[in-house]
Amino acid sequence: MSTTPTTARPRRAHLAAAATAGVLALSLVAACGSGSSGDTGASSGPVTITFWGWAKGTQDVVNAFNASHQDVHVDFQQIPSGVAGGYAKISDAAKAHNAPDLFNVEYAALPDFVSQGAVQDITKLVPASLKDKYLPQAVELTTLAKKSWGLPLDAAPQALFYRKDLFAQAGITTPPKTWDEYRADAQKLKQAVPNTRIGTFLPDDPSTLEALAWQNDAHWFTGIGDTWSVDINSPETKRVTDYWQQLIADDLVRVQPSFSQQWTASLQKGETAGYVGAAWGGGVLKSTLASSPDAAGKWAVAPIPTWDGKPASGMLGGTTFAVSKDSKKAQAAVEFATWATTTPEGIQARIASGTSSLFPADPDLVPTAKAAFKTDFYGGQDIYSVFVDAAKAIRPDWQWGPAMSVTNNAMKDAFSKLTSGGTVGAAVDASQQATLAELRNRGLKVSR
Amino acid sequence: MSPRPAYLSKAVVNGALLLFTLYTLLPLGWLVTAAAKNTPDLLGGNTLTPANVHLGQNLHDLATTDGGIYFHWYLNSLLYAGGGALLCAFVCVCAGYAFEVYQFRGKEKLFGLVLLGVLVPTTALALPMYLVASKVGLVNTFWAVLLPSLVNPFGVYLARVFCAGYVPGEVLEAARMDGAGELRTFWSIGLKMVMPGFVTVFLFQFTAIWNNFFLPLVMLTDSKLFPVSLGLYSWNTLTRSEPTFYPLVVTGSLLAVVPLVVAFVSLQRHWKAGLTAGSVK
Amino acid sequence: MTSRAPGSSPKHSPRAATVRRRGGGAPALFLAPFLLLFAAVMLVPIGYAVYLSLFTEHSSGLGFGGTETVFTGFGNYARALGDAAYRAGFLTIIQYCLLYLPVMLGLSLLVALLLDSALARAKRFFQLALFLPHAVPGIIAALIWTYLYTPGISPVVEALNSAGAHLDLLGHPVPAVVNMAVWEWTGYNMVIFYAALQAIPREVLEAALMDGAGPLRTALSVKVPLIRASVTMVAMFTVIGSLQLFTEPMVLYRNAPAVVSSWTPNMYAYTAAFDHNDYGLAAASSVLLALAAAALSFVVTRATRGRSERRAEATA
Repeated sequence: MSTTPTTARPRRAHLAAAATAGVLALSLVAACGSGSSGDTGASSGPVTITFWGWAKGTQDVVNAFNASHQDVHVDFQQIPSGVAGGYAKISDAAKAHNAPDLFNVEYAALPDFVSQGAVQDITKLVPASLKDKYLPQAVELTTLAKKSWGLPLDAAPQALFYRKDLFAQAGITTPPKTWDEYRADAQKLKQAVPNTRIGTFLPDDPSTLEALAWQNDAHWFTGIGDTWSVDINSPETKRVTDYWQQLIADDLVRVQPSFSQQWTASLQKGETAGYVGAAWGGGVLKSTLASSPDAAGKWAVAPIPTWDGKPASGMLGGTTFAVSKDSKKAQAAVEFATWATTTPEGIQARIASGTSSLFPADPDLVPTAKAAFKTDFYGGQDIYSVFVDAAKAIRPDWQWGPAMSVTNNAMKDAFSKLTSGGTVGAAVDASQQATLAELRNRGLKVSR
Repeated sequence: MSPRPAYLSKAVVNGALLLFTLYTLLPLGWLVTAAAKNTPDLLGGNTLTPANVHLGQNLHDLATTDGGIYFHWYLNSLLYAGGGALLCAFVCVCAGYAFEVYQFRGKEKLFGLVLLGVLVPTTALALPMYLVASKVGLVNTFWAVLLPSLVNPFGVYLARVFCAGYVPGEVLEAARMDGAGELRTFWSIGLKMVMPGFVTVFLFQFTAIWNNFFLPLVMLTDSKLFPVSLGLYSWNTLTRSEPTFYPLVVTGSLLAVVPLVVAFVSLQRHWKAGLTAGSVK
Repeated sequence: MTSRAPGSSPKHSPRAATVRRRGGGAPALFLAPFLLLFAAVMLVPIGYAVYLSLFTEHSSGLGFGGTETVFTGFGNYARALGDAAYRAGFLTIIQYCLLYLPVMLGLSLLVALLLDSALARAKRFFQLALFLPHAVPGIIAALIWTYLYTPGISPVVEALNSAGAHLDLLGHPVPAVVNMAVWEWTGYNMVIFYAALQAIPREVLEAALMDGAGPLRTALSVKVPLIRASVTMVAMFTVIGSLQLFTEPMVLYRNAPAVVSSWTPNMYAYTAAFDHNDYGLAAASSVLLALAAAALSFVVTRATRGRSERRAEATA
């Protein structure tokens, strides 16, 4: 466009010509832009796969794999965690056909990605011998419509984290075994240490409530034939929501967003003495409190309280490896994912980084994980033995729905009204309605 | 002179101004002192004191975390904002010059369309822009952020106002008499005379791009392409599980504010001129 | 990228007007880069958004067999407008404007008048100090204020607490966001008003003085009416800017549960696109937002133009 127009051509023609030139320039730029990413590399040498994830210690796992393998090379990119934007990033990339070969996705989000068409069916690459290595509850969650869509990295059995010294100060000698005891202990604690509460209701994070409902034998989604049965506000769930609503109403727990500044500050100051979490929380809590020196050694882990005192657990989070729809290197991707989830080297590399306390989906690797995790923060307690029992007690037959982002956002948005007259129970009702509307809008079959 | 009421004394007027200045400067003061704190002090509320200085440590962490990616973001921002504003100012001055100096059919209608562009909410456009960019494969590239930054209808308006004020018609006429072509006249006379306007548009666009968050948020996924605003946001989401990032975000914020403060302090004449052009009709 | 500007064409100096010329292809050449970019980043996206808003993704059965794109007409628009959450977003904006407009306009006018008075000292310093927040990126402003709002972390809340005042802005996001915006924009608009005040001819003020008007009367009944055009213009751009509210609540979102994923129309569109992968709904809600902005500015421009024309007739 640098030539000077001299003739008296009609102006419109000028503009049209200029516009064409501009569009050409744009598409040239576009070609350069897309060529740079997702390059397949030369045919000789190792197969290079691209991999996106955010789980703690992933970089160490990739380094260990690359150091010990000549046939496959993993090119890892750290992305924000799923709900913090990671999932949006993956779906966008999938839509634009430049998704990585392999990515991490939590169990709850897997059906969403499968129904978007972002995930590749890897049934043929997952032999029965491999499936048998994992906890059956984890395999269940990666199997949709009888096909395999991912390899499970960790199971996330629930656990109760608490401050021994503060509990002792309130005269609580053994951690609560039932939810009734938990409530009683909450009262004792508030009486003894008025500024301290036993735990937190996390209004930004439906997954804790989901795990608690799962623990109480709720089944939010059930695929029967080709029809979804959606049962989010079932009596089993309502028992859980009513219980927490009462704790909130009686000011026995705080209402603070998970891992927010307020929550972290209140943990650091000892104003919150417990955390209803899962196995991976052991590492996260440790690094959350790493900068407050007086917290070390005071925390302990106990089995999650149950309704009847018998062991029962849901799963709070938990991550899988999924292969993207467009990937031409599924085999190499599955090879790396298998190594990362079922070999002692893979688990060892992740946990030795010091920040992860995940519970391997392959139970044979628990001793490896246990040996690798430093438990001085928990006063040397054998925290993995608590997780082992909890993992055995994970209730089977839970299914995640195909639109969990809608389910969760509806619930989260309704939680925002907790301080202005809303209830936890109303939030699951809202979520049920929003989920049904979304599934119908997508054209799925829904029975209720 | 009529008698002045007591509440309008010099002390009251300047006192009120000082009070308001306190309000505008307090958060900046907090940023300066907080940037030197570590995580427990930040989350413990010990921020507005000059004590417990860990600034050196924070800067060191900032330079080393994720292989020093913060300064990479900083460089990106300078590139997006500097390059984008430079090109944008040039494009705007060209257009403003054309609107001011030439007579052509449909001119005022076209100018009206440009002014309408000032009114379109840019964030409402970011999403459609993303959809187009993903269609043509521009998503997650340098261009996805740079190209939209080159357009500023307000800049065209400003440029036209400045051309009206700074480029005397006689001079252009004289140049034409001397046989200079239109391009030459623009390049060697028009552009030089309207330089103050150029700097003003540059300054405003630099700020707009430096501060922009929504566009890079939707366009970019590769952290190596992030501008500093988006980088800080992404680190801020990481604080959820790793509180060691809290001081990094705060210290990084302080450094990110510095270039703009320097620009605004040293170029006072220009932003005032820009805002004045906007106010006096 | 919120630039605020007047909505009318500038006055031309008579000198320039006498030599305006046709210049052959030159104007097209000078205009081409801007118009091309303008089309590429404004017109094309709007058109494409309108197109996308007419389609939706469909699957069948359990939904694991992939999706297909189907034409839905105005289905997405109906869905957006029928969604209480989307409508609530506009309600948030209205509440926000009702608080923000009077506070910000009042403050910036007040400060401009104070600066314009003969009593103010150090005018350059005050202008700079009050303008400085505008140099802080919105995202950083939001981060700073979030720290200053959070109980247990904020020295301000702490100080207020010990003085017996309890401030819970995290639980009241509208005033929380209004304060951030007031901080960012008051100085900016103050400079605009101050410039307009400085442009008032001295004779007018002297005449008021002769009539025996005190400084307060002069300010309210002479100065303010004379800069009414600037005030209206700032008000309009403020309202249009308010419709785009996104950055500040997005940062608050994580720390204040009262901010929901669809708190403003922009957040609704963002959530639809990036959380729910519902591009049709995202496009429809963006188009509706742009239409609302266009309608609003049309109404405001018409109203103000009508008034100034009437005024012009009255004075003629």
